[in-house]
Amino acid sequence: MATDTASVAKQAEISRHNGNVAFKKERLGAAIDAYTEAITLCPDVAVYWSNRALCYFKRKDWERVEQDCRNVIQLDGSSVKARYMLGLALLEREDFAGGIKELEKAFDLERSTNPDGDMVEDVWQALAKAKYLEWELSSSKRAWRLQKLKDECESALILHQSLQDPQSEDGSQASSDDKVDQFELLNEVFSKALEDDTPSEVPDYLCCNITLDIFQDPVITPSGFTYEKAVLLEHLEKVGNFDPITRQPLDKDELIPNLAIKGAARAFLKEHGWAYKTNPAF
Amino acid sequence: MTSSSASPRKALSKIACNRLQKELVEWQVNPPAGFKHRVTDNLQRWIIDVIGAAGTLYANETYQLQVDFPEHYPMEAPQVIFVPPAPLHPHIYSNGHICLDILYDSWSPAMTVSSVCISILSMLSSSTVKQRPEDNDRYVKNCKNGRSPKETRWWFHDDKV
Repeated sequence: MATDTASVAKQAEISRHNGNVAFKKERLGAAIDAYTEAITLCPDVAVYWSNRALCYFKRKDWERVEQDCRNVIQLDGSSVKARYMLGLALLEREDFAGGIKELEKAFDLERSTNPDGDMVEDVWQALAKAKYLEWELSSSKRAWRLQKLKDECESALILHQSLQDPQSEDGSQASSDDKVDQFELLNEVFSKALEDDTPSEVPDYLCCNITLDIFQDPVITPSGFTYEKAVLLEHLEKVGNFDPITRQPLDKDELIPNLAIKGAARAFLKEHGWAYKTNPAF
Repeated sequence: MTSSSASPRKALSKIACNRLQKELVEWQVNPPAGFKHRVTDNLQRWIIDVIGAAGTLYANETYQLQVDFPEHYPMEAPQVIFVPPAPLHPHIYSNGHICLDILYDSWSPAMTVSSVCISILSMLSSSTVKQRPEDNDRYVKNCKNGRSPKETRWWFHDDKV
């Protein structure tokens, strides 16, 4: 019996290998068949599912990507790749909340285990794009509802004013001024309500002087200036051991996470989803 | 000609691209006084008109700066030269190369095209005499093979002018 299990596992590994070879040659159909064989033999091996998911991903078969990734996550909750592919598949199917949830998990996992890899940046870009799309959708809904409400308020106000003031008498000048005021105020209230949703500039104090982008992982130097950690480390390594603004000597051991600014940047992004559009490429 | 900078250049990195896009937007919203960026679709080379400040030796004169960005900008300084004819100035060579420390050894990634431009204009404005650097001919001859100013071993003229 023991030898049976071992030989089944061995057979599954051979299928996986065949799948990998086919995948490299971009023969996705053959790769999927091979991985399916491996899965049938040993359904408890997460990598067989995630390899097949990647094939479906290339084929943009989002439903199957989702199924396979969910199986991977059940077997191995720490799989960044599965959460990343699942997140993107859900986004493709316009499940923004679900996609963002998976990408956030992927981002946190990857940042804690492999903070210097390329994957962190890729996951972050996907997450930022998802958040931006989500904001775009919800803000246009909000704008539409507010516009409708504003139109109704205006008609109601016109009606109200005409009922209150059936004919002009003494002091009609003052009351017509009041009427204009009311309309102006109404306008003001509604444009205020749309302010957070109007793309503008991220305040300078939330942006790194090197990336010119909103902070993700800010660190403060002894000079009191705050920079994006990754780019400041690159500066210390490649340009020199000095604070980029003050030019005072600076060692990487002197950097301290700036949690207050990190919190402020996060809060700003929450209220102003448009600020996720950091990358002009999307 | 300015073919000195036409040495094969690598495409901008993702970080460099992002940062330059942001600088360009910032420049359009808030351009430094006395400068005009000639809009092109080339993010890696900016051509900027410089107008000499009123009340200085270069008042009403217009020059052109050519700014080329390396792959790893802003971890590396941009290459900034005047397109000849370059202004007559004790720190500016006739081939357009500029002797200014922040463009070479004293570069910092916290600087921007805008801040570099302002430094160059202030260098022009504080000049008291319109003349070439003493070693102009020797230097320009040495650059004949198309050398970039970033390859020059600069010994900086005094910082006062």
